[in-house]
Amino acid sequence: MSFIVPEERKVAQGVVIPSPVGENTDMITSNWRSQRPYMKDLDKCDMCRNCYIFCPDGCWTVDEENEVVIWNAKYCKGCLVCVTECTEKALDVADELDFEDGVVRLEKSF
Amino acid sequence: MAHVREVTIWARGVTQDKEGRDVSQIIAQGADREGKFTQAFDDYEDLPDRVGVPVRKYSRVSDEEIVMRYDYENENPEAVIVMDESIVKGIDILRHMTQKGILVVNTRRPAADILKFIPNKDLLDKIVCVDANEIAAGATTVDFSGSEGGIDATTLGAGISAPLVGAAIKATGMVELDNILSVVVNKDALQRGYDEAVIAPVN
Repeated sequence: MSFIVPEERKVAQGVVIPSPVGENTDMITSNWRSQRPYMKDLDKCDMCRNCYIFCPDGCWTVDEENEVVIWNAKYCKGCLVCVTECTEKALDVADELDFEDGVVRLEKSF
Repeated sequence: MAHVREVTIWARGVTQDKEGRDVSQIIAQGADREGKFTQAFDDYEDLPDRVGVPVRKYSRVSDEEIVMRYDYENENPEAVIVMDESIVKGIDILRHMTQKGILVVNTRRPAADILKFIPNKDLLDKIVCVDANEIAAGATTVDFSGSEGGIDATTLGAGISAPLVGAAIKATGMVELDNILSVVVNKDALQRGYDEAVIAPVN
């Protein structure tokens, strides 16, 4: 018995697949959130990276060169754990409708 | 075939699931007391829900037997109720609306602030804004049993669902206020939602 596997679906022996780098456009979850975190006071931020470490969805990335953390609006579900863990209270909570953009309109809920 | 009046409810998954289900149940049970044929059920496609996911609940009210009772989505809602204002930003809440309909939003903002997030607002006849979070003190009952179309045995309308139903029936006139009052637990919140709802024409 043999199976025909399409070329693009083939994986290496032992099912070793490359770890996903970048974004999964099939799993955009921005319309799950009703509130969002935002950088209220950049001067207070001491780059402790707690937001980057605690975010369950990897929505915070660290820009080492400019010494800032960058928020990914497309995938943040608004759990606000980053605001809770922010030691210097540089992050704060805001209502989603206070902002014009940031939410990707989807056909289906998820 | 008699005209079936349909209401679609949008709520946030898990946190507002029970309250959203309450809205559909209250409308159906209130109309049931007037001898109408009714239905209230969750959207199968949206389940199982997760925290914050936009989920749909449906109500149907008809003077005659509902022929399309096994259709699991509302095909022509005349009213849409949004339990959380931020849902309007991320998804087409007015889907399948063909006639000039009514949008009821739980918000403390003016109608214009909500309408700018709705690209297909031409479908609307009027928008109703009610601050249900303030009226019901933000109370949301949580119940993980799930109903899947069954009758909810626990209390109906203890939280934000009561003022939202009040606002919805004021705008649509689908059910008499007295019949709704006999179903709901928090009658005061329902009355306040009915009184304080701001109805604004669109266009």
